[in-house]
Amino acid sequence: MFRPRIIGFVCNWALPKRIEIPSFPRMKIYPKMQVVQVMCVGRIDPVIVLDTFAKGADGVLLVGCPLPDCHFVKGNIQAENKTKILKKLLSLTGLEPERLQLEWAYATEIEPFSTIVDAFRNHIIKLGQSPLVGENSDEKILSNILAAKNAVADFSLRVLTGREEELTEAMNAYGKRIPQEEFDDLLDEIVNREFLRHKIHLLTSQKLLSVKEIATIVNHRPALILRQIADMTSKHMIALDHVEETTPLYKALEVK
Amino acid sequence: MNEKGNFEPKIVGFLCNWCAYAGADLAGVSRIQYAPNIRIIRVMCSGRVDPVFILEAFKDGADAVLVAGCHLPSDCHYINGNYKAQARVALLKKVLENFGIEPERLRLEWVSASEGDKFANIMNDMVEQIKRLGPNPMKKDGGKIS
Amino acid sequence: MAEVKVGAVLVVGGGVAGIQAALDLADSGFKVYLLDQSPSIGGVMARLDKTFPTNDCSMCILAPKLVATGRHPNINLITKGELIELNGKAGNFEARVRKQSRYINESKCNGCGLCAQKCPIEAVDTFNENLSSRSAIYVDYPQAVPLKFTIDREKCIGCRTCQEICKTKAIEYDQQDSETVLKIGSIILAPGFEPFDATQKSEYGYGRYLNVVTSLEFERILSASGPYGGLVLRSSDGEIPKKIAFIQCVGSRDAQIGNNYCSAACCMYGIKEAIIAKEHVPIKLSCSIFYIDIRSYGKEFDDYYSRAQEEYNIRFVRSRPARITEDPRTNNLYLHYVEDGDPRIEEFDMVVLSIGMQAPKNVETLAKVLGIQLNGYNFCQTSVFSPVETSKPGIFVCGAFAAPKDIPESVAQASGAAAKAIAVIASERGKEIVEKEYKPERDVSQEEPRIGVFVCHCGINIGGVVNVLEVVEYVKKLSNVAYAEANLYTCSQDTQGIIRERIEEHDLNRVIVASCTPRTHEPLFRETVQEAGLNPYLFEMVNIRDQCSWVHMHQPKEATGKAKELVRSVIAKARLLKPLKKPIIKVTPIGLVLGGGVSGMTAALELAKQGFEIHLVEREKRLGGHLRQIRYMLEGRNPAEYLALLIEEVMKNKKIRIHLNAEVTEVNGFVGNFKSKISYDNGEEKEVENGIVIIATGATEYKPVEYLYGKSSGVMTQRELEEKLAEGEFKAETVVMIQCIGARTEAQPNCARICCGEALKNALKIKEIYPETEVYVLYKDMRSYGFKEDYYREASAKGVLFINYTDDKKPKVTNKNGKLEITFWEPIINEEITLEPDVIALSVATIPNPDNKRTAEMVKVPLTKDGFFLEAHMKLRPVDFQTDGIFLCGMAHSPKFVDESLAQACAAAARAGTIICKKTLEMEGAIAHVDENFCGGCRICENLCPYRAIEMKEKDGEVTAHIIEALCKGCGICGAACPTKAITMGHFTNEEIMAQVKATLLEEVKA
Repeated sequence: MFRPRIIGFVCNWALPKRIEIPSFPRMKIYPKMQVVQVMCVGRIDPVIVLDTFAKGADGVLLVGCPLPDCHFVKGNIQAENKTKILKKLLSLTGLEPERLQLEWAYATEIEPFSTIVDAFRNHIIKLGQSPLVGENSDEKILSNILAAKNAVADFSLRVLTGREEELTEAMNAYGKRIPQEEFDDLLDEIVNREFLRHKIHLLTSQKLLSVKEIATIVNHRPALILRQIADMTSKHMIALDHVEETTPLYKALEVK
Repeated sequence: MNEKGNFEPKIVGFLCNWCAYAGADLAGVSRIQYAPNIRIIRVMCSGRVDPVFILEAFKDGADAVLVAGCHLPSDCHYINGNYKAQARVALLKKVLENFGIEPERLRLEWVSASEGDKFANIMNDMVEQIKRLGPNPMKKDGGKIS
Repeated sequence: MAEVKVGAVLVVGGGVAGIQAALDLADSGFKVYLLDQSPSIGGVMARLDKTFPTNDCSMCILAPKLVATGRHPNINLITKGELIELNGKAGNFEARVRKQSRYINESKCNGCGLCAQKCPIEAVDTFNENLSSRSAIYVDYPQAVPLKFTIDREKCIGCRTCQEICKTKAIEYDQQDSETVLKIGSIILAPGFEPFDATQKSEYGYGRYLNVVTSLEFERILSASGPYGGLVLRSSDGEIPKKIAFIQCVGSRDAQIGNNYCSAACCMYGIKEAIIAKEHVPIKLSCSIFYIDIRSYGKEFDDYYSRAQEEYNIRFVRSRPARITEDPRTNNLYLHYVEDGDPRIEEFDMVVLSIGMQAPKNVETLAKVLGIQLNGYNFCQTSVFSPVETSKPGIFVCGAFAAPKDIPESVAQASGAAAKAIAVIASERGKEIVEKEYKPERDVSQEEPRIGVFVCHCGINIGGVVNVLEVVEYVKKLSNVAYAEANLYTCSQDTQGIIRERIEEHDLNRVIVASCTPRTHEPLFRETVQEAGLNPYLFEMVNIRDQCSWVHMHQPKEATGKAKELVRSVIAKARLLKPLKKPIIKVTPIGLVLGGGVSGMTAALELAKQGFEIHLVEREKRLGGHLRQIRYMLEGRNPAEYLALLIEEVMKNKKIRIHLNAEVTEVNGFVGNFKSKISYDNGEEKEVENGIVIIATGATEYKPVEYLYGKSSGVMTQRELEEKLAEGEFKAETVVMIQCIGARTEAQPNCARICCGEALKNALKIKEIYPETEVYVLYKDMRSYGFKEDYYREASAKGVLFINYTDDKKPKVTNKNGKLEITFWEPIINEEITLEPDVIALSVATIPNPDNKRTAEMVKVPLTKDGFFLEAHMKLRPVDFQTDGIFLCGMAHSPKFVDESLAQACAAAARAGTIICKKTLEMEGAIAHVDENFCGGCRICENLCPYRAIEMKEKDGEVTAHIIEALCKGCGICGAACPTKAITMGHFTNEEIMAQVKATLLEEVKA
């Protein structure tokens, strides 16, 4: 029978007290999922989540305190925003976004917590093994996950997730609130852009490629790829290596 | 290198600011490609080129020296500096012969600000000529100066 | 009560025309407010890759002017500004200006660009024609002036990232738009043009087909700092095209879309883009230009056109394509066109649309605010005899807003407009300005040389070939080099700040810039070091662009090696550099104008209006020149009337002394202090002193030998025909005009520019008086550029037949029993046609004055291959000569129409005014010095000096040579000849040059 490997990043303040966690290492084999205890679910770096998938997790469950309670004021809101971006990115990589789930629980209530875990586990069982596990692991998805990881490590997305709440709930620098839908549209656009650029970067760091070749691999119009390369060039992410006949070939530059 | 095949001559060029240097600039702006053997020294007028400079260049191992100024008779920005240069170079060629330096190694050319191609042609021609002639005979061991 | 006037001018528009006008005004002692809608000045020229016909890099020649404008103490830049209200009248206006917020404190922003790197939001980069992206906080281009960032408020989400990152705390989200009221005496309009929106020509599929681009997009594609780093790529797939078509007249000469006029510059830029594309593409690229007429009518433009055909094998197809279709699979394009009567479909990889110029956006609002009139195409209304004047006194116009035109004409017009703007407020000169003050000069005489070396990448112009960092590392190891660094653009304004900082930080006392040519950039850097308290002669330049990267493009290793050696040799010189003092000379505030035609008279009059005395010398017994023979104008004005008024004004002006039947036979001296000799026909001679010289000696008409001219009375020149028409002596049923007589031939390869207009004028006149007369015009290309295209259309509409001929099928004229017969090839019906015209009118060329050679030698200025006077720079210094103090205007420059001559004449006056308005001039400091202790008094130098700048003086019984500083031009001839080496040439001493020679040839051996 398929025994999914599920990693749970659980907020210290949401983790029911009966579950014993040795202080170090922070990981304890819980029968149904590996629990990583964190001080706040808002602390979870999206890079870590994607890395966890890359390393073969079938599912990642984030558990934090319900809104509006957060020991660190707004950690749970942060977690919500990060999960949103991660799900957007996952959908681009080809890995099912449902393999990532954010849930709320109270440390004082054990039942709901275990219900959450069970439900998630059942869902993962239904989804089956991660395509990144095993001998026939899907190289393409894996490389997409790496690109996504680089994308969330990059400045733009971190800034946007970090400031989403402030911009959509409170005020921006001009004293205006940005409507949520507007912000989400913007986020979509930037997630797509950053994912594509890091994907191109990853591909060209392995091999010299032309615009057309990249377009075929990532299944986008070559015109869009050319545009990205123009922008990536000005950001020193990529450079022309040489021209073969009528075809310029590009190579990734090390990002400093 | 002593072998004529691999020998890359070093040429020192004294170019007047107004015509020849501007001609070299035009070769640049027009992207006219030429042999990379010249090292240009800008002077205001070809008439400024003291024979001592030329002799010094040969002493220090130049395989050839180019003096380039404005066209005769009247292009010279300073009226007649080009004539002065002409007279000096003619005299100096004789002196060079006495030193055992082939007079062809010293060349005087008129290049206007609109003759980028001419400048490039002169360079290519000179390099070819000096390659045939071999290194500056004052150089021992084919490169080092005694 | 005396009228109150203000010695300040508002210039609207910061493109190259506005910049030129601002510089001329500011250099003449007037305060200038330079207003531009954009966040930075530079206009369209800043976006061009190269410029015709010299293929100079646009940014390279513009940057020094941008920097000079940005640094000028008398120019106040108002960017993101807009004129919203104007009150008052000529001499005293009040202009209300709204300045849009940048959300950046301009005085705090240092242009470091960190904010743009960290901004998460991107927007399309309009500077790159939307082909790439930029941040929501941005600067248009790296050399932008002012180099101040701007927040794109449309895009910015207010995330505060830039605010947190900005080191200088320059971000001000709450900055509001502001309004100021400027007090000014006159206004110059230079708002430029709006590129035609190519989507309007839907048959060409722009906007639908990715590989159809506009010429402006193509400029950015060609540019090394553009989206593709200068590689020509197809937008659809990033591949290099092998076959490109250029379609001319997109949005021009097109009555259907309402733009019947010709945009005047597109033929030349189309040819240029094709040439540059071929240079940029590593494979064999085929370029085809589809055109109606090739209008390469400017100075030496036909030369360029011929080179495009012969050297670059660019194909020219006389056809206006009907439409473009696309192969959706390959995104290749099919051009549907008709050639020689046959419909054809041809496949191309890429199509460039040469888009025309339209009146600037929102121009109606501007016109309303100013109270000026626009013409039918919404360009500024001007008249042929007042080309830079708007309909409202005190408001002047220049550049493309007056009519579509290229850069040199915009620049000339700009200077011309400056002259007119000055005339309004000449009495207020110097009242609103501040003098530039430098830091006191540091005494470095006791210091060891500490050399700073700045090596320029010049985008990829240098860095693409020469390994700039390697050069930097190399020079760091050389002795006395205290500091070295690489810059993206050493000439940019921010780098000037960096150089000044480095001088302070590292106690530098010599500065070397390794970049491009000192001929254009040395003054800029000298000023920079001077601002840091160093004597300007402690600066030296190495040209590693024109002498390395651009001429050894395929030998990066050799180019880098050569660059190192060149820098090494200049470092050797720099160690020995000495500070030099610039002599100050007085200026004679009098002008000398050669030629009493309309150009000369206008130049004289404009200078006289500024308050200067002028000698106007005319060879003939009366003023008027060429215009005297013109009986009517294409535009319908009366030339005789205008000329009479002009002559009267000149004669009445007390400041102008007219010398008729006279010639200038000697011009000695130098800028500010000429002594000239005027020789009269009666043998008398007169010496005058003058500070400047303007050459306005005009041109002459080609005397035809072709087509039985002089042998048959029915064959005449256009001018003779004009005379007959005016005198009522014209009688003919059939007239055939033949264009390009004595122009565009082997002997005189360039176009004479005005003959097409002359032919149209006479053809229309014939049709006006004798509508039944048949008129044929046999032409190579009809070059009715600009708004003259309207007359071409009118003539066609009135039944004038225009028939194209080529050099291999020239018309034949015979005289059969006293009857003229002409046979020519009709290309549309593909047949030979024979007519028996009563009149054959030859459109003869305007050719250089045979006397030009003598004049040129007299004042020491060059001529072109054709024999016209050659200005200092074809693009940006159209009325200057390399020799200071001598200027050029009118047909002596090249053939041109009266309005163009007038604009140039005003321009020459404005440029000359910048010199004679000063009491003193600072002269060159790099001059000769005599060490009396070594001087043997042999007098060799005295005889050699071409300027008589050496005099022998006796002191204590010893005769020694002395240099007259103001006369010495620093050629060094004396120094090279001095037998005792008593003469030192400032900045080019024997020791310096010898050190340079040695270091060129020998590796440095460190002690």
